[in-house]
Amino acid sequence: MLSLILILIASAFFTGIILRVKSMASGRKGPGLFQPVKDVARLFKKGVVYSETTSFVFQIAPTIYFSSVVMAMLVVPFGQSKGFVSFNGDFIFFAYVLALGKFFSIISAMDTGSSFEGMGASREALYSMFAEPAFFILMGSLALLTGHTSFQEIFAALHIGSYISYALAILGTFVLMMVAMVENSRMPIDDPKTHLELTMVHEVMILDNSGFDLGLILTAGYLKFAIYGALVVNLFIGVFPYQYSIPMFFVIQIVLATGVGLIESFMARFRMSHNAQFIFVLTSVSLLIFFGVLMILGKFA
Amino acid sequence: MDMEISGSLLNYSLAITILGIFSLFFVPLKFKANLAVLVVLLNVILTSVLAFQVLRGQDFKFTFDAGAMLGPIQIAVDSLSAWFILIINFTSITGALYGSGYLKAYDNPAPKLNLHWALFIVFHLSMVWVCMIQHSLAFLVAWEVMSLSSMLLVIFDSNKPKTLKAGINYLVQMHISVTFLTIGFIWVYFQTGSFSFETIATFFGPNSNIWLFLIFFIGFGIKAGFVPLHTWLPHAHPAAPSHVSGVMSGVIVKLGIYGIFRMITFLKADFLLLGEIVITISVLTGVYGILNAAIHRDFKQMLAYCTIENIGIIGIGIGLGLMGMGNGSAVLYYLGFGGALLHVLNHSLFKSLLFYSAGSVYQQTHTRDMDDLGGLIKRMPKTALLFLIGAIAIGGLPPFNGFISEFILYSGLLEGLKSNNLSEISLLVFTLAGLSIIGGISVLTFTKTFGTIFLGSERKPLEHQPKEVSLIMLLPQYLIVAVMLSIAFLPQFYLNTLDKLLGNMSPMVVPGLSGLSGYSGRIANVNLYFILFIGIIAASWIVRAYAIKGKSQKIEPTWGCAYVAPNNRMQYTGKSFSKSLGKIFSFLLTEEKKYKELEPGEIFPRKRKYESHYLDFFENRLINYVTHHLVYAANYFKFIQNGRTQWYVWYGIVFMLSIFMLTIFNVLK
Repeated sequence: MLSLILILIASAFFTGIILRVKSMASGRKGPGLFQPVKDVARLFKKGVVYSETTSFVFQIAPTIYFSSVVMAMLVVPFGQSKGFVSFNGDFIFFAYVLALGKFFSIISAMDTGSSFEGMGASREALYSMFAEPAFFILMGSLALLTGHTSFQEIFAALHIGSYISYALAILGTFVLMMVAMVENSRMPIDDPKTHLELTMVHEVMILDNSGFDLGLILTAGYLKFAIYGALVVNLFIGVFPYQYSIPMFFVIQIVLATGVGLIESFMARFRMSHNAQFIFVLTSVSLLIFFGVLMILGKFA
Repeated sequence: MDMEISGSLLNYSLAITILGIFSLFFVPLKFKANLAVLVVLLNVILTSVLAFQVLRGQDFKFTFDAGAMLGPIQIAVDSLSAWFILIINFTSITGALYGSGYLKAYDNPAPKLNLHWALFIVFHLSMVWVCMIQHSLAFLVAWEVMSLSSMLLVIFDSNKPKTLKAGINYLVQMHISVTFLTIGFIWVYFQTGSFSFETIATFFGPNSNIWLFLIFFIGFGIKAGFVPLHTWLPHAHPAAPSHVSGVMSGVIVKLGIYGIFRMITFLKADFLLLGEIVITISVLTGVYGILNAAIHRDFKQMLAYCTIENIGIIGIGIGLGLMGMGNGSAVLYYLGFGGALLHVLNHSLFKSLLFYSAGSVYQQTHTRDMDDLGGLIKRMPKTALLFLIGAIAIGGLPPFNGFISEFILYSGLLEGLKSNNLSEISLLVFTLAGLSIIGGISVLTFTKTFGTIFLGSERKPLEHQPKEVSLIMLLPQYLIVAVMLSIAFLPQFYLNTLDKLLGNMSPMVVPGLSGLSGYSGRIANVNLYFILFIGIIAASWIVRAYAIKGKSQKIEPTWGCAYVAPNNRMQYTGKSFSKSLGKIFSFLLTEEKKYKELEPGEIFPRKRKYESHYLDFFENRLINYVTHHLVYAANYFKFIQNGRTQWYVWYGIVFMLSIFMLTIFNVLK
């Protein structure tokens, strides 16, 4: 339950921080921290425009996409406090529920019959597919390390003790953050601020969404960031008491958001045609984690 | 119910079949399909009663004396057979129902329909009998009846050369499979002197388990479609009429799985090694199948490749179960085999659903090329929804039944990580990654297929306006969806059945100790989360409906990114959707392009054609390579078969003379 509240709070300012950092890096003052939330609130009040080619799929898809993210949020734990839903193998449920949301966002893009949106949909499907094994190998390795198979038990049993496990936590952070970038279509994979539809991924998929539906999609995006941030936090807090872990949660979330902002300010997007390979490299990082875990457990005998 | 009545059920079913097929020839054209459905239904009821009886705990067994040559034939239904019989029955009856509507749209002469429906009845019954016979020779007969009847069902459109070719390809490959099975059975016969299945277990006792099991695995694996033995599948399934492809893909490939399971019940040793072999082949099968499914434009061929993928998933479960037997780990045994058996059921459901709804599309549009279609959701909304449900379920996405079986397999993989063996752990982690990649690509495949066929607007004008298909075709699909939902939301019932089944199957694991029943409480909880998830969707939907009430709702053209004259042909096609994936895996997915380059002196270019299609790696590189060389070698012996009768008579004389001489000179004794 605690994780739910924390994620909701974090999602309110996470995207705001990214925007603020980007503005400051380019020498502007930038909007307030809660501008993204205000944007969504404004969208919720607006009317909608539907494309004449679309069917019911287009109308229902944003709701399902949003619900899938909410459902995934319920699974995420916070330190020793369980998520709203917690069971053995819940991280599989987490990944598959998010995949259902993606399924619907992809077909809703194809529902408009626009070639640009089809292109974005195809890229989204491809990239998220390549990110999948990285996440599963990471979680599988952690399950191997701790002997547990649910998010909460895995994270509670993670002990940062030796140098190797520090290295593992850092690699794990890297993998989770990159997966978050793929899931949220952010900088090294996709540039949300690009002006050409041909080079967009996520933004081009939602070109035809408007009003309440667009608000839902944006909210889902904010939540997703905070969810992955919370997973990263979980790698570090273990069984710390709340008076340390809750401030740590916010510090880490802010650091991550700042990091994303800085990356977006000073880095160029990967070449579109090589994106898939870049993402697949994540899998090999996950494999490094796996070998690290084998070393810690002394299986190389 | 006692043995007598159970036995007479089978007698009734045989009598009904013979009577039904006979009267099929005298029934007016209009009612042939109805009669066939009736006969299949009666057979289904009779054999299902038997199967349910067995699942309730009463094994059924009798011996039938077939004279001097075959000897006593053991007929037995245990819970494993019963599970498969029920799956066969359900898919066959939905197939027959759907087929009766599907064939109505075409004008077929009476003899063709007679043959078709008679074969369908035989085909169904032969599959049931394959699951019951426990005697090698009789088993091969039933197996052969099944292969032949299904081959004749495949070539229903026999006027198309492609269909005939696919049929012959299927026929040949099925006989290679039979060859392997025969070798296996004969090997057992020579060692033990009996054709009864029980003696396979006695064979496995003192002898090495690996080679015989691998021979059976190849034999049954050709039927099931494990890579690289799969090459018949992507040809036969698209060629067959849709109700037949639904049944073939839904159950006939599963009989290969049944055979493998049956052999596993006899195994005595080497579980670990065999498990590792099976799991490795299965991961490759799964990834290869779904990669090919992702790129094909022919939607029935896509579904055929997707069947190969699912066989891979089932195989992963089988491998896990074998590893469980090897390690003496009951949890792994239950999760692996339980996941595999549940996925057999699940796949038979959603794959037949997908083939039926795809068949409805084909019936209305007469094309299997998805890039010619588009926007069908407006013309065929019910078919579109059914296909969508199938597409979500087959990707293993919640809240449908596919997730339950895949979740069991994932749980099994994670349980397996607790092993101490480095190679096992590594294999399982790679399998975990493989399974997740399969899931990812299957999302890509089915969003592509659903999006291209049903969404957007039509890419090519069709000659006939497609419209929603008849109720008789929709009804079986609704039935399938109902069963799928029952698995998703009441998995406890199915898991308990599997628990008992697995307890009966192997004496080496104590049932109920820490098996599925220990685990299934947890897995059955997943349905609560499904309900929660649906609740969240419903709540968001209500909030949305409330929020947009009274606000302006406009219908406008799709935003063309400032381009003012878009047309339907500009829509993203299925081919381009999966092009980037195809490029990345171009070492495996060979694309063949046919076109003429612009010649240097060609100032005014003429109309030209561009064609591209994907080749199957194994068929192109492996099978064709071998057959090409075989044909090349055979060419040298062409002079023997020269078509002159005089020569053939001469061969006969030489043969008889040489036998005669050899006998006289005591060379042949």
